[in-house]
Amino acid sequence: MNTALIGDLIRLRYRLLWAKTRSRNGRIALFFAGYLILIAAIALLTTGGFGAALAAVRSGKGEMVAQAVLSGIFFEAILASNILGFGLNAIFSDVELRRYPLHAADRRAARHLIGLADPFWLLFFAMDLGLALGLYAAGAGAFWFGFVAALLLFVCNYLLARVVALLIDRMMRRRGGSALLLGLVMLLALGPSIMQPVFRGHPDRWQAVLRWLQITPPFGAASAMIHPGMPALNGILLILLWTVGFLALLTAIENRPPSRTAAVSLKIDWDTWYERAAAFFGPAAPLVAHWLRFYLRNNRTRAMSLFQLPLVAFLTFQIGRQAGANGFFVAALGTFPVATFMGVARITVNQFGYSGGGFRRYFLLPTDPAATLRAGSFASLLLGACSIPILLAAWLVLAPKPLDPAMFVMLACSSATGLLLFNAAALWVSLFNPRKGNYQSSLGNDLSLGGNILVIGGVLTALLAPRLLVRAWPAPFQPENWWMFLPLLALAIAVYLGSLNTVCALFAPRRERLLAVVEGRD
Amino acid sequence: MDAIRLNNLVKQYGPTVAVENLSLTVRAGTMFGFLGPNGSGKSTTIGCMTGLLDPTAGEVELLGKPFTASSADLKRRIGVMPETLGLFEPLYAHEFLAFVARMFGLDEATTRRRVTELLAALELTDTSKTLSEYSTGMRKRVAFAAAVIHTPEILFLDEPFESIDPAGVALMKQWLRRFTDQGRTVFITSHVLETVERLCHEVAIITQPGKLVWQGDITVFNNDGVIPFDGQEFHALEPLFLHLTGERSADLHWL
Repeated sequence: MNTALIGDLIRLRYRLLWAKTRSRNGRIALFFAGYLILIAAIALLTTGGFGAALAAVRSGKGEMVAQAVLSGIFFEAILASNILGFGLNAIFSDVELRRYPLHAADRRAARHLIGLADPFWLLFFAMDLGLALGLYAAGAGAFWFGFVAALLLFVCNYLLARVVALLIDRMMRRRGGSALLLGLVMLLALGPSIMQPVFRGHPDRWQAVLRWLQITPPFGAASAMIHPGMPALNGILLILLWTVGFLALLTAIENRPPSRTAAVSLKIDWDTWYERAAAFFGPAAPLVAHWLRFYLRNNRTRAMSLFQLPLVAFLTFQIGRQAGANGFFVAALGTFPVATFMGVARITVNQFGYSGGGFRRYFLLPTDPAATLRAGSFASLLLGACSIPILLAAWLVLAPKPLDPAMFVMLACSSATGLLLFNAAALWVSLFNPRKGNYQSSLGNDLSLGGNILVIGGVLTALLAPRLLVRAWPAPFQPENWWMFLPLLALAIAVYLGSLNTVCALFAPRRERLLAVVEGRD
Repeated sequence: MDAIRLNNLVKQYGPTVAVENLSLTVRAGTMFGFLGPNGSGKSTTIGCMTGLLDPTAGEVELLGKPFTASSADLKRRIGVMPETLGLFEPLYAHEFLAFVARMFGLDEATTRRRVTELLAALELTDTSKTLSEYSTGMRKRVAFAAAVIHTPEILFLDEPFESIDPAGVALMKQWLRRFTDQGRTVFITSHVLETVERLCHEVAIITQPGKLVWQGDITVFNNDGVIPFDGQEFHALEPLFLHLTGERSADLHWL
């Protein structure tokens, strides 16, 4: 194995991270989003794991708490790695590594060692290790068993996340893959809520599930961290077996190339629904149709658009049942706006980041350069607005009865307000904090700092604001006060139009800067 | 009539000068070669002439009218094949060409007819692949088709022939000759000097940073003529180009 070159590549990964500090945006992004958060998170979560361990041992439920915490970390790492896309890097893909004098096995080792050494994964290792150290400090288990178990669990977790990522990627390449993924995500999201009453009524079934869980890596690690001697060794052996299994599975999937579609000549469809939907926009119709196509050809946009509706149903149910009387309605006032922008958010907040060389084309067209920005925003609004009638229909069917017709007006206004405000802010982020992204990638987080703040902040604000506001000022949430939502919507329209006009005026003077970012010269 | 006129064009990126006081005139109906070494400012000059970049100073006139990034009417009369091709990767070739045609104001029937004819002529009939799946040569042909689909009066082509197979190049040359025969203007940058010598009527050579060092008629080369310059006689474009831009030699003993 060419360990020297692999070591150089890992150093290169960190050098590239460091190189981002050469640009002003990079310095800000790296400082705030990268190291500051990472260091703080490592410190806090390690201490958190440590504290949890101490509390668990003192309460006499050390193993149970360790099992729950480790399972949570294990599951979260897989979810975060795949949905948020942290810890994966296209620059070190197998294709890119082929330029170096490395054998196939060396390339595989290099890729996964780079992945394991990613700050994201080290954070999860710190959490596992924090728990192990906490348990040891509280007098449960042996130090080295705990350390080895944490290390092996971290590697096992990474390998499983990579297997899941590859399976999702292959699934998305197939026809109907998005729908299948949606089904799986729904199962994952709604499964615990559906299963809860089943287990509550039949504790024996829960015991049976627990017996099965004993053979999972987090439970093996919990055993190794709590018990000395043979039970610890058994736990470590269990994780080792899973690790070898996942490694074999990952190798098998990676060695199997994705299926390719055969080249055929299809009949050209000139008048697609993109053109028909955009016709409403008059002279801007070709540009709007272009942007609709650009949004909906994107695998991730399609998957997220499908995923957002069950996610909203789940969130409304989860938040609503904790919020007391009228809780579902208050929750829906926050979750519905999320469903209007979640699906298209990635492109909306970084409108030109995925255009690549195509960005130049917009300035060669015989139109005002800002027309494309406007058309892109209209396309995003149109796609977001399509969710509103679906959400209202879902409310009609699923919401607790009786229903007040005013609720529909309030929900529609709240959804439209969220959609407009998000798109207004997205215009500013697209112009002032763009980032070159990969249109084809189904995974990974390639948004800029501003984009991440807007998407994550937008979701959190939408979810939390109604819950907080209803306590301070309940009147606007009463159906008889439905009209109070109308000025809110009017304000959102004004903010959107104001932003659109201002950003469009700034677009042409800023285009060279955008061009440099979009073409990767920044 | 002059199709293109640059008057003391300057383009700076911060302290870096990319184009320095470039003045140039191209007559209508000319096949004009714009040559220079890598990094000499050819693409930057084309960027300023097509609305992609704002000149720091100087003026650009196209078809007798001042040109800026917002000159929509003038843009309708020019066609551009940029260096980076300017393609939208997720689209199919016919979708991309139809989009460009509609943006340039062609009616629906003309759009469909021209797209179909261009795709057939340039052998881009595999409609199952998006532009991201096309080879470099195919992508270039799509970009060329997008530049000509609205029959522009001036055609800017930034390195159009590189990566295209000989049959494709021959077809494009044939179209370009007919284009100039009709009184339209073609402005080409290329590093393939033999092609430029055979195709172009006139050539301008620039050196870094965007400084014009020579401009003249090169049709004499096709009649075994010579171009006298600096007390020397040049029988072909390549020696003239190397003389003007500086011939480099580096002896690497290990190579």
